[in-house]
Amino acid sequence: MAPDTLRSRLFRSGAFWFAVSILGSLAGVWLSVRTLVRYSNPPSGGYWFVLAGLALIFLAGYAAWRLARAGTYSWLLPLAAINLVLLQPGRAGDVRTWRLEWGVMGLVWTLAAVLVFALLLRRSDELERRLHLEGAFYGLAFGLVASVVYALFENRLPELRGQWVAVVLLLAWWLGYLVTARRYRWQS
Amino acid sequence: MKNRLRVLRAERDWSQAELAERLSVSRQTVNAIENERYDPSLPLAFAIARIFALRIEDIFTPEVEAPGVEPPMDLTSRT
Repeated sequence: MAPDTLRSRLFRSGAFWFAVSILGSLAGVWLSVRTLVRYSNPPSGGYWFVLAGLALIFLAGYAAWRLARAGTYSWLLPLAAINLVLLQPGRAGDVRTWRLEWGVMGLVWTLAAVLVFALLLRRSDELERRLHLEGAFYGLAFGLVASVVYALFENRLPELRGQWVAVVLLLAWWLGYLVTARRYRWQS
Repeated sequence: MKNRLRVLRAERDWSQAELAERLSVSRQTVNAIENERYDPSLPLAFAIARIFALRIEDIFTPEVEAPGVEPPMDLTSRT
């Protein structure tokens, strides 16, 4: 049997493709947005920046696909949370004219991502499904408690935005998954 | 639930990954069952029994018998 090196563990656990996807998303969105927000006065080589940004976003999508193909579905949760923060689907930002179109497009992408994740979970084995069930329970329980705590300090805290709630729930689900996996001695 | 999965697997010289492939589950699931951290579902328990050509109760043993349940009678032994 081949020795269990750090490199092989990084690949097998999905950590490598997770890192590629995160870096691709961060760099791709940064490059694209930086160029596109100045579309009326693009910097020199602006089109190349946009192309490079789109290529990096494509790479991030490919890495997410590799994660799904390898069955390391849990990485998709923090990935979704980070991409929610980066892309903010449903929010038009400064593009007032296309507000509805941006919103609907974001909604379609989000629904597609939820559907794909549900299909992936149906394909996974029974222990993986159980880990996600318990993880999602912990996530929802945390969200419930957090919402009550927020209500306690509502006057002193900044206004809550829907997407932050989704991000916190996704991360709490993922942490719940990790805690549950550890309990079952899950060794990815 | 106690089980003899590790012993049975070792007798056949199968790795966890090989057994997992035969059962169509992940290696981690086999690992969790062997370490008695996870009790498999009934269909999976049947699949395990079928692979080892044994009965479920030959592989899995409850740690505590359910109250009021008599241990199974051995119909094969005659005195």
